[in-house]
Amino acid sequence: MTSPLVLAVPAKGRLQENAEAFFTRSGLALIKPRGARDYRGAVAGLDGVEVAYLSAAEITSQLAAGAVHLGVTGEDLVREMIPDADSKVVLIEGLGFGFANVVVAVPQAWIDVRSMADIDDVATAFRHTHDRKMRVATKYVSLTRGFFSAHGIFDYRIVESSGATEGAPAAGTAEMIVDITTTGATLAANALKVIEDGTILRSQANLVAARGAPWGASERELARVILDRIAAQQRARAFREVRARFAACDARLVDSARQKFGVVTPFGGPTSSGMLTLHCPPGEVYALTSFLRENGAEAVAVADLDYVFSRDNPLYAKLEAGL
Amino acid sequence: MDASVTTAAQGPDARAEALIASYERAGYRRCAPAILQPAEPFLDLSGEDIRKRMYLTTAPSGGEFCLRPDLTIPVSRDYLASPAAGKPMGFCYLGPVFRHSGDGAAEFMQAGIESFGRADKAAADAEMLARGLEATAHYGLTQPDIQTGDVALFVNFIAGLDLPPAWKRRLIKDFNRKANLAQDLDRLVLGGNNERPEYQGVLAALAGADPKGAHALVTDLLSIAGISAVGGRSVGEIADRFLEQAALGASTKLPRDVRALIERFLAIAGDPDQAAAALRALAGEADLAPAIAPALDLFEYRTGFLAAHGVDPARVRFSTAFGRGFDYYTGFVFELTDPSRTGDPLVAGGRYDELLSRLGSAQAIPAVGFAVWIERLAVYGGGA
Repeated sequence: MTSPLVLAVPAKGRLQENAEAFFTRSGLALIKPRGARDYRGAVAGLDGVEVAYLSAAEITSQLAAGAVHLGVTGEDLVREMIPDADSKVVLIEGLGFGFANVVVAVPQAWIDVRSMADIDDVATAFRHTHDRKMRVATKYVSLTRGFFSAHGIFDYRIVESSGATEGAPAAGTAEMIVDITTTGATLAANALKVIEDGTILRSQANLVAARGAPWGASERELARVILDRIAAQQRARAFREVRARFAACDARLVDSARQKFGVVTPFGGPTSSGMLTLHCPPGEVYALTSFLRENGAEAVAVADLDYVFSRDNPLYAKLEAGL
Repeated sequence: MDASVTTAAQGPDARAEALIASYERAGYRRCAPAILQPAEPFLDLSGEDIRKRMYLTTAPSGGEFCLRPDLTIPVSRDYLASPAAGKPMGFCYLGPVFRHSGDGAAEFMQAGIESFGRADKAAADAEMLARGLEATAHYGLTQPDIQTGDVALFVNFIAGLDLPPAWKRRLIKDFNRKANLAQDLDRLVLGGNNERPEYQGVLAALAGADPKGAHALVTDLLSIAGISAVGGRSVGEIADRFLEQAALGASTKLPRDVRALIERFLAIAGDPDQAAAALRALAGEADLAPAIAPALDLFEYRTGFLAAHGVDPARVRFSTAFGRGFDYYTGFVFELTDPSRTGDPLVAGGRYDELLSRLGSAQAIPAVGFAVWIERLAVYGGGA
């Protein structure tokens, strides 16, 4: 019996909902044959894949250890939890959800502080004035240390915080914080402001592969299938299909549409009868249809795409290159 | 499993024991601080960067502990806790220390000396270098490279310059990180810290104001805004620095001649006599002779004591830019290396006059010491 390819998926919360929706869109419906409470699942119609439901932090450490092949987790956790992450895992693709920035934030009252250079100066002055080092509350110990070190800041102490970090300055347990934020609303509600050049990482949920997992021929083949479907779905979502047929349509017109609207021509074109199929970025659809009509098209049809498969498999190529 | 933790250090060999015995005969009391230490003093005094190299553990009661990553802080703490605290005392030690370092062994042996409370600093500095040379000679390496520096010279020199206090603080802090120091100098010359459109009007309005009135105004503004969560900095502190920035706004640009002066200072190197002559000449030219005198006088006495210990000054390489990358050194620093091998320090140390105060001593206690890497010396195989 061949060993399965293990795909780790977040076990709860928004991340789970988003991840399941993402896989379903990619034609990879996650199922739990033994009931909803089970923490092991499968992919409908794709034998040999085992789905492991874990917390995002566990997924990250399992990827680092090579105990799962693929997993969905935030880049913030990958960078924080895995020393020299790029030697242990391959970040295959950002999934377009779970956005969060890891930022440095200080009390709004610090009107003299706007940049990391200010923090550097304030930290040193603080040590001289208070005879102790300024405290930074965070759960991102490694990210903070690396970022502060890169900015030449050494007069600080990290206070590990596992929750409600943004409350630390008001509670008096730290002077400033490093935390994740999506809109900044929670920071503002706690009278904190983000430092201008204090964004440590722009993070989102990623599909991540473990370099240290056993990658035999069967695991690679399953990964190829999974990544092919994901790529087809992502390509489909990046474009709308625009079709038209008119006599004046020629190669010069297609070239001009390519330059103006960023369209691609998956099937070449136009045909001898003037039939043209374009894939257009969603934001340019209306402009493109106007352009086509101005150049003689009577009717232009626009449709959503479900999948666009192509011969190449860029995501799998990335995985292969990283293993 | 991490390969670095499977290799236990070999027990102290007879040669290391003989080295320590010679230090004991010279009057240093042998001590053996606990291997498990509270983590706080190391993180506080050596900086957060050391955290990734430490073996940390949490006690069931919640305190953070570590396997000692060096012996300077443990020996200092034990001395402060003893009845001898504050009196002149010298200690020697031999034992394992623990530092995570890529592929190297995480547990290795260090010997060393820490000397507390000696007022004759120049003589104590020179003796430490001489005792360090005894260690390499003990293992058969009689002519290691001797690299020395002196943090106090830089501190005195910067203190004498006509610069805003904020910039002096920063240059001194960054002395141990040369990349940052170069950046600082670039920024000083370019005046790049001055892009503050948000408050430019306020700053301009306050720039010429009477300092007391301006301080009161900013303090009032902050209080009126109802700001209470100031994160450990007082409203007065914030107002002070805000005004300091206002003052800097007019003068963030470092005159090119001052930068050139700093760079010429940091380029001074050679044997101690050449360096001292060059320092006197530069200080005289720049009108900094009184500022630099305390450190430079000590420097020259030290050279004299080195000669008295039989260290040929021509063998000593001194550089004003040489630092050991630790914040707690305040004066003389040195490293003994063998460039024909790895170039890693075999013996290294220096003066740390503020460390004991920062560990809680009410009185200032001068201190100097060094550590010996036993495994690095063991490869030489010669000697006793």
